[in-house]
Amino acid sequence: MLYGPLLVWIAIAAFGPYDITQGQYSKLLYVHVPTVWIAYLAYTLTFIYSLLYLIKKNPKYDSLALANAKSGVIFTVSTLIAGSVWGKFTWGTWWVWGDARLNLTAILLLVYLGYLASRSFNNDLEKTAKNSSFIGIFGVIQIPILHFSVIWWRSVHQQASILSQETVSTGDAPMSSDILTTLLISVLLVTLVHIFLSKRFRANADKLWNDYLNPKIRAKI
Amino acid sequence: MNKNLILVLVGIALVVYASVQIASNNTIYYFTTTEATTNLNVGNSERIKLGGFVENDSIEKKMDGITSFFITDGNEKIEINFDGFVPELFQEEMGVILDGFFKDGVFYSDDMLVKHDNEYISENGDTYDVKTYSK
Repeated sequence: MLYGPLLVWIAIAAFGPYDITQGQYSKLLYVHVPTVWIAYLAYTLTFIYSLLYLIKKNPKYDSLALANAKSGVIFTVSTLIAGSVWGKFTWGTWWVWGDARLNLTAILLLVYLGYLASRSFNNDLEKTAKNSSFIGIFGVIQIPILHFSVIWWRSVHQQASILSQETVSTGDAPMSSDILTTLLISVLLVTLVHIFLSKRFRANADKLWNDYLNPKIRAKI
Repeated sequence: MNKNLILVLVGIALVVYASVQIASNNTIYYFTTTEATTNLNVGNSERIKLGGFVENDSIEKKMDGITSFFITDGNEKIEINFDGFVPELFQEEMGVILDGFFKDGVFYSDDMLVKHDNEYISENGDTYDVKTYSK
């Protein structure tokens, strides 16, 4: 179920319509934009589940927070790679040191890598879950800063085409309809990929919790 | 719980502060052509970043690999003398950010970034009609 949407997504990205000014490389839009949206979504869910874990202390919420963070990291790496290649062929460089949007995305990745690393600082899973929850909670504040960075600071990065005030108020995105449709289908497919990925990660996390809460089973092995 | 809440609030404040600091200090702050002509105090040969749109009919390929053109922000235009790698997307009306210095009113640069806008127009070019929700 994971590979189905993944393959369809790659196919429509490869054969989809592209911007005539930028050429073939603008198809990276179908990778760059959906992956960063779903990374936003995943980190937001990590925030919600971290909060729920701290309040209810139910291991289920910690597993869900971890699963979403893992998936979010994968999509953040994808968006950085796709964006970098795209930048090479439009701006003329892989990376712009000193650009607000690029740096903040790199920091976003580092914070959630920190979240994943914080899982292995302590053998006591309950303490680990509590500590990581704090990272999961205050990490989310970066998302609005990152999203509005292209408006707040002068940036080489283009402004948002769809999640912008103009598009929301007029209902009209500055995009041809075939590009827009392909983009929205890509978002749907990446959402499916995220659901299946995080399901897998959640199963792993549940297993760890199960071992932790029922040490007898572990002793038998 | 109260102690935790304080910790979370302090954490959020720290992340916001750090992000804003990093973004503000490291931002590739380019000057517009109007800013550069009216109130910029830079000596000759002091490097700055300058942004603007390439003027129509102003691109001129000279000998020894130098490209000369004008950029504008709609008000002021500045002559550019560019000696470096020209990105493929460089063309008239495109936004560019140039790294270089002023000498006698001409901006000498060897580093160009092409800034693409947020419009995506396909070969077909049709857009949705938002009033009737059809093509």
